[in-house]
Amino acid sequence: MRAPAFTPYSSRGRKPIVAILVTFALCSTASIGLSIWQTARTQHRAEVLRVAERQQTLASEYVQQVMLVRAGQQSDPDVTATILRLSTDALLDGGAVPAVPGNDDEAELAPATDPVVRAQLIQERRLVDDMTATGAAYLAGRPVSSAPLTAGEHLAVSAPLTRLRLLSMLTADAALNTARTIVAESDSDVTNLIAMQAVLGAAGLLVSLTLALALVAATRRQTAHFRSIVDSSTDLVIVLGDGGCRHVSRSVTAMLGVSEDAVVGDGILRYLHPDDRALVRSAQISGRAEEIVFQLLNQHGEWRTLEAHVTDLRNDRAIRGVVLNARDVTERVRLQDELVRQAYHDGLTGLANRSLFRDRLEQALARSSRTGGTVAVLILDLDGFKQVNDSLGHDAGDQLLRVVADRVTETVRATDTVARFGGDEFAVLLDQTDEALAVSVARRALARLAEPAVVAGRELEVAASIGIALQSGEGAGDELVRDADVAMYAAKDAGRGRHEVFRSEMARDPDELLGLDNELRYALARDELTVHYQPEISLSGGQIVGVEALVRWTSPTRGPVGPDVFIPVAEASGLIAALGDLVLREACSVTAGWLRDGIVGPDFVTWVNVSHKQLTMGGVPDAVDRALRSAGLPPRNLGLEVTETAIMPGGAADRARAELQQLHDAGVRIAIDDFGTGFSSLAHLRHFSVDMIKVDRSFVQGVERDAKDTAITANVVALAHALGLVAVAEGIETEGQLAHMRTVGCDVGQGYLFSRPVPAAEVTAFLAAAREDAQAA
Amino acid sequence: MLACAGLLALAQWSGAGGSRQPSVRVVRITERDFHIGAPRRIAAGRVRLEVKNDGPDLHELIVVRDPAGARLPLRTDGLTVNEDALAPEEVGSLEPGVPGSVRGLVLRLRPGRYEIFCNMAGHYMSGMHAVLLVGKP
Repeated sequence: MRAPAFTPYSSRGRKPIVAILVTFALCSTASIGLSIWQTARTQHRAEVLRVAERQQTLASEYVQQVMLVRAGQQSDPDVTATILRLSTDALLDGGAVPAVPGNDDEAELAPATDPVVRAQLIQERRLVDDMTATGAAYLAGRPVSSAPLTAGEHLAVSAPLTRLRLLSMLTADAALNTARTIVAESDSDVTNLIAMQAVLGAAGLLVSLTLALALVAATRRQTAHFRSIVDSSTDLVIVLGDGGCRHVSRSVTAMLGVSEDAVVGDGILRYLHPDDRALVRSAQISGRAEEIVFQLLNQHGEWRTLEAHVTDLRNDRAIRGVVLNARDVTERVRLQDELVRQAYHDGLTGLANRSLFRDRLEQALARSSRTGGTVAVLILDLDGFKQVNDSLGHDAGDQLLRVVADRVTETVRATDTVARFGGDEFAVLLDQTDEALAVSVARRALARLAEPAVVAGRELEVAASIGIALQSGEGAGDELVRDADVAMYAAKDAGRGRHEVFRSEMARDPDELLGLDNELRYALARDELTVHYQPEISLSGGQIVGVEALVRWTSPTRGPVGPDVFIPVAEASGLIAALGDLVLREACSVTAGWLRDGIVGPDFVTWVNVSHKQLTMGGVPDAVDRALRSAGLPPRNLGLEVTETAIMPGGAADRARAELQQLHDAGVRIAIDDFGTGFSSLAHLRHFSVDMIKVDRSFVQGVERDAKDTAITANVVALAHALGLVAVAEGIETEGQLAHMRTVGCDVGQGYLFSRPVPAAEVTAFLAAAREDAQAA
Repeated sequence: MLACAGLLALAQWSGAGGSRQPSVRVVRITERDFHIGAPRRIAAGRVRLEVKNDGPDLHELIVVRDPAGARLPLRTDGLTVNEDALAPEEVGSLEPGVPGSVRGLVLRLRPGRYEIFCNMAGHYMSGMHAVLLVGKP
């Protein structure tokens, strides 16, 4: 047979309690109902009794009234006779009881049910009849013996008045006895009621007691169950309650090597680490569900680390305490500490590794930004370490590294961090320092290293180069390390065994760009990028025939960042698609506005640069289409500037070519940008649909000084014209350049001589003014 | 006729009881309306009067021996028996019994004339009395 599943603690005991309450409620209701019913009965019975007793008086009154009439006085025994008779009827069969004039009220009675009472009332009615018949005969002067006797009485008197009095007495006695029977009946009812209520009370009490006992038994069982679970568990269970420890599991006593008695109450404190007492105490008071870690002293005198989950079971009748469910995590913690140490230290020298160094550096920088102190990073690289490794072997190399580690550590304060970054590169972090101190540390380190070191039985002279970078206030740790690295290389370049302090003139490491992609991502999200426009002027007519859209970025931290810096970053990170979209949307929208406002002609073209990377990523036609549709701009008012490589066949460029062709077919203009700097094949140019060639600014700007540039520009313009394309000169900055480009027949010019790239509002004003001028002319 | 049959039955029962159990004989008495039904003659000795009240009223039973006159002495109301005056002659009594009740009254009766009656208000004068003649056994 399967044992029933264990009922959860929380649902235990509810049934008996509910049953007890229900029993009490039922018994009370029954008892109260009985009392109410009995009270109503008693009230009615009192009324019956009053009427029954009244009969006695009426019977005597009748006789007196008869005597009064006989004595010639005024009286009406018939009324009394009628009341007597009607009252008896009402007592017997129910109905209205007439009132005695001036004496009491009418009453309404229910029929008598008790057979004894009924028999008595029937007898009483007969006696009333006999008495009134006798009275009537007496008053009428007839012999009273002629009056019928119906109640079985054999009257032993013949005197009329005595006979009448006797009948009255019998009637009164019958009425009295009826009343007695009713009282007796009432008494027995009350007795029954008391008995019933006693039975109800006893039954309720009995049921409740049984259930309460069952409840107690269930609670005991469940406490026992809980204890057995706790004791059989390998977890260390400690129950804390009022007065300290209430219970510990066997696993705890086994660990401490004492009995439970030694632990309960304040006993546990002897085994609890002093530092953890407040923690455990607060867990006991709050009962908040959390993980706490504390230490207990085991029987071998070792501190064991326990990790415990706190559960508040103070409201659980079976437990009444805060339960700490703990596991011994000593080994795990030890392992973790070891792993942490390994993760943050260099295995060879025991110095901090790069991660720990970076961590400490960030902390030091955070401190310095608060206190305004200066943090210095020294990067130390051994000179000629490779030769040591190569000639004496790696063991000797390792030995040398350990010597260096010791010597560098000796030269700094205990609070400073010395790290090995790998290979023969070391770093020192100096907190709360200044340049003079940092330099003196570098000097000391170099001097100490210069002392001969005995490695693998040979005396070696070690030299190193040190780069120093300092930072006051907030700054990025990585940059500081990089600056120190740059300074170190500068020191190495300047000759070995030297130190250098980083100066901003020292070349910045190109991977500065690494951080840019994130900034650029935020810049796109925060709309820091704007589109500027540079007009393109017809060199023959002087009117503005188009603008080139150029993206500009002013970073809140870096200031203006040139497109030559951030475009490569955007290309490398894939942000170029979003960036391209932004420029396309802006340019189309602005141009559509100009067309609508009539400040540009229908042939006006706004040129947007599309990078090679963007083309190879694909999706340019879709982006262009979306931008055109969204702005409502006809395709012929938009031009795309692409580089020469974009139209070269082969690889991913094939698709780019196809896409450009598709766009050109749709009416979008295409220009070859920076013409002459790439590897253009004229043959391809011939076969590819292009509208315009832009002569690279480097040629344009050289025309005044370099005869080659003069020749190239003339030839490019000629080539363009030969292919039926428009030629544009970029970067015209002087009148001389302009004159030359005019001379060679270049169609359009662009450059600072005419206008720098300006924001949309400015170019709009510029275009509007130009339009007005043209209309005026 | 009925009374004769009852007497016969009682005599037979008494005879049987006498031979075997001389101590107590049972005499059945009924009270109904204003009438007492009882055997006219019984034998002397220990008797147990079994008084059954057939109702409808409450009735008592008083036993007196050798009352002086034909009629028992009355109180001044002229309607109830003066029990105080009868005290010397009274040999036993039962308090009023409710209708339907049967009560026993054990008496040692010497031979003689006894009168049994109910002295509830007016009952005696309404005919609720009987004479019991106790003869030698």
